[in-house]
Amino acid sequence: MLRTCSREKELTQALRDGHWPHGCGEELRAHVETCASCADLVLVTQTFQMARAESGSASMETSPSLLWWRAQLRRRNAVAERVSRPVTIAQSFAFTFVSVVAIWFAVSQYRSGLHWASWWSWLAKVPGMYLLSNGSANPDWNPVVLIPTLGALAVLSGLVVYLVSEKS
Amino acid sequence: MRKTNTTGEYAISSVDARLARGSEELAMDHDAFAGFYQRSAPGLRAYLSRVSGNAALADDLAQESYLKFLCAPPFEGGEVSHRRYLFRIATNLLRDHWRRKRPAGLDEVPEHALLVHDASGGVEARAALGPAMAQMRPRDRQILWLAHAEGYSHREISEITGLGSASIRLLLFRARRKMASLLRQQLANNGRQR
Repeated sequence: MLRTCSREKELTQALRDGHWPHGCGEELRAHVETCASCADLVLVTQTFQMARAESGSASMETSPSLLWWRAQLRRRNAVAERVSRPVTIAQSFAFTFVSVVAIWFAVSQYRSGLHWASWWSWLAKVPGMYLLSNGSANPDWNPVVLIPTLGALAVLSGLVVYLVSEKS
Repeated sequence: MRKTNTTGEYAISSVDARLARGSEELAMDHDAFAGFYQRSAPGLRAYLSRVSGNAALADDLAQESYLKFLCAPPFEGGEVSHRRYLFRIATNLLRDHWRRKRPAGLDEVPEHALLVHDASGGVEARAALGPAMAQMRPRDRQILWLAHAEGYSHREISEITGLGSASIRLLLFRARRKMASLLRQQLANNGRQR
């Protein structure tokens, strides 16, 4: 149960200011002798203040200059990491995209028995692709066109992601 | 201010916003930091050392506290608020340490570890502090030290520890009563041994 004394504030201030006991009135000193809560406060505060004063003389071995230099280094590293983050994201995206296309291409080639032109004929069925399909005389040449196209698309996608993340 | 239920951690919103924004400047220039360090390091180290019961850990955490403090972007406020912020960082680091290394947490710290710093003490009450602290809960050690050694108000303790401001008064009252009882017990034991 919380039973604080009405003179606790006054006593706390006196202890904090170092006025206890000689700077305090006789009445307050007499009160502390009879009030258990205030006696606890005096005992604990004085003990902690003594321990604090004793610890105050022991200084840390690390110099402030070293800490300041380390903090500066850490700050710079954090800034560098933040700046390079959009590039890393764009690279990851481009890599993932190219990997997915490469796997899809390899699987489709494996299924069609490694006929380079087979998937091209499938692509020609897609509306709007017939012009490109008819424009090439040699169907085996088409991957040479398509792979760089997909690569360029991946790079451009990466660039878009980079620009978007940079903006945000 | 933001408060989370799991950790009870307060975050000063303006500081968080500055952290998120990220500035290349440190919180203080070299000379200002050197002065601040000289004035605040003994108190911070004493706090960490008394609460953790481990001088080496206290040194490590104090260093990390200063690094984090410096890396936080500059914010307004005088030395009092800087000091309070530093103690808040140190308190969070202590909490993180206890979470990470639960088996070697503060509750399992052997009593002699907390006695080390009292070996040179000539005052009886001071010598009794180590064993008494060893029997207190970590949270109680924290609030007792912040209130009685550092002289922080309930509101400031709440800001540093992340505990609710209303509960600090009750927690502190109970912790103080227990600590006083333990100190008297230790003093009586020490008297009997002589």
